[in-house]
Amino acid sequence: MSVRRSLAVARHELRLLRRDPAPVVILIAMPLVLMAFNRPAFRAALTEAGYADVNGAEHVVPGTAVMFAFFLVGNVGFAFFREHGWQTWERLRATSTRPVEVMVGKAITPLVVSAVQLFVLFGLGGLLFGLRVRGAILGLVLVGASLGICLVAFGFLLTAVCRTIMQLNAVANIGALVFAGIGGALTPLSTLPGWARAVAPATPSYWAMRGFRSIILDGASVGAVLLPCAILLLFGVGFGLVAARRFRFAETKTSWA
Amino acid sequence: MLEVEDLHKTYGEVVALDGVDLSVAAGDIVGLLGPNGAGKTTLVSIVAGLRRADRGVVRVDGRNVAVAPYETRRRIGLAPQDLGIYPVLSVRDNLLYFGELAELSGRELTGRIEEVADALELTHLLDRPARTLSGGEKRRLHTAMAMLHRPPLLLLDEPTTGVDVATRSRLLEVVRARAADGTAVCYSTHYLPEVESLGASVAILDQGRVAARGALHDLVHAHGQCYVELSFDGEAPDVPGLEGAERSGSGLRLPTADPAGETARVLSALGPVAPRLRTVEILRPSLESVFLAVTGRRYEEEVGTGVGAS
Repeated sequence: MSVRRSLAVARHELRLLRRDPAPVVILIAMPLVLMAFNRPAFRAALTEAGYADVNGAEHVVPGTAVMFAFFLVGNVGFAFFREHGWQTWERLRATSTRPVEVMVGKAITPLVVSAVQLFVLFGLGGLLFGLRVRGAILGLVLVGASLGICLVAFGFLLTAVCRTIMQLNAVANIGALVFAGIGGALTPLSTLPGWARAVAPATPSYWAMRGFRSIILDGASVGAVLLPCAILLLFGVGFGLVAARRFRFAETKTSWA
Repeated sequence: MLEVEDLHKTYGEVVALDGVDLSVAAGDIVGLLGPNGAGKTTLVSIVAGLRRADRGVVRVDGRNVAVAPYETRRRIGLAPQDLGIYPVLSVRDNLLYFGELAELSGRELTGRIEEVADALELTHLLDRPARTLSGGEKRRLHTAMAMLHRPPLLLLDEPTTGVDVATRSRLLEVVRARAADGTAVCYSTHYLPEVESLGASVAILDQGRVAARGALHDLVHAHGQCYVELSFDGEAPDVPGLEGAERSGSGLRLPTADPAGETARVLSALGPVAPRLRTVEILRPSLESVFLAVTGRRYEEEVGTGVGAS
């Protein structure tokens, strides 16, 4: 495997992103708008749940960030589907670049974007909405990194199983909303019906929220996020294994062209 | 540089390649000719490692493509039939990417970009987004991306599709220059005059087989019969004295060594059917007549265009 070729793919993806940054800007700006709208409701919900000295940012910032992080899953897939639309996929395959080098290269940019998105949302969450982190900041970083890896792997999985860009678009967007809803990112888990609370641990967003909340609301140390991080990484490994099994480099995907 | 042995490929019931043998030496240009569905693109794709053959062996620079696909791809530059460029990136960034994938960097990469841009007249376009280029400029960029890493084997699949005359002649000039520098070139095309202009040797693919292979002048010498061809309104008539003519639909075709004398004889033999005569054409020895002799069909009829006829 050539690290240089993977980095070439990653630099190329960054060049493409620089030419059209609008989708990523929207995925950072829109959550801030939603946070402003929803914070008062979450303050009431957290107070009712027994938390004192809260202003709602403690849930609305990580919850909205987790939901919008999942919208990046579609971007991971688009990076493959647009190659088919531009008819560059065969050209890429005809170079000496190995599939694993392409995958690693195409993973780097969304990982960076995910990190930037979470950093900006948590940062501005503190500045604009008074988010106060009571526990170890390193814990937030670990959960964010694990979430990013899980998201990219999920994006690879959807790329592997979807044949058309419309399938990808539908599954990625609906998946983001379903995971956010059931995982307790949209509303506190305590407000969900019993069946949803039972299903929640089957979603990566539940574990991301559990990690973030334990640091932000409960003031926990890094040790408290090791389990959520491990499970997010396990989700990532699972998604990645299925993607590796299903992905066919020679398959032609139907894009917009 | 390229050796293809007994290559077979089927798609379901359709036989795309049926025992193709081909070799291309360093510095040679081989024109892969054939109508749509003859197997040209399948052959190019298998050589480039994009498709697997059902049977047979492809070696590039002595290495088996199926055994060492990435090693061999390093030695190949492919410009596929379909235009494949990144429209939102500049011309320079398109080239940069393929240079970086070939593990070029620094001054070497910059130099290669300048070199290939100069050769294909892209220098003044380097900072333009590729989507703003004309069709011919896009095709030149598409070809430049295949040449940037100076591969010893260049696979060009119908590289002049949809381009203007100036772009076509520029591309042909660059291909000749690359071959002169020792690059082996497989040049798949519909256009017979291009192969003649390149001075390429020829492999005529027909129904998945190499129907003829050799230097252009050898093939013309061996198969390049003169023909007089007549076309009529309606079905070609039975004309006394022209019983030896090949008949297809509204056409009659007569092989001859003396086209002028044969034309005069044929015209005088037409008698009462003369008013139904639409055209008379003399096909002189050329790639067109080689194709006709080898396959029994006119090339321009096969490709559905008159451009191919010389």
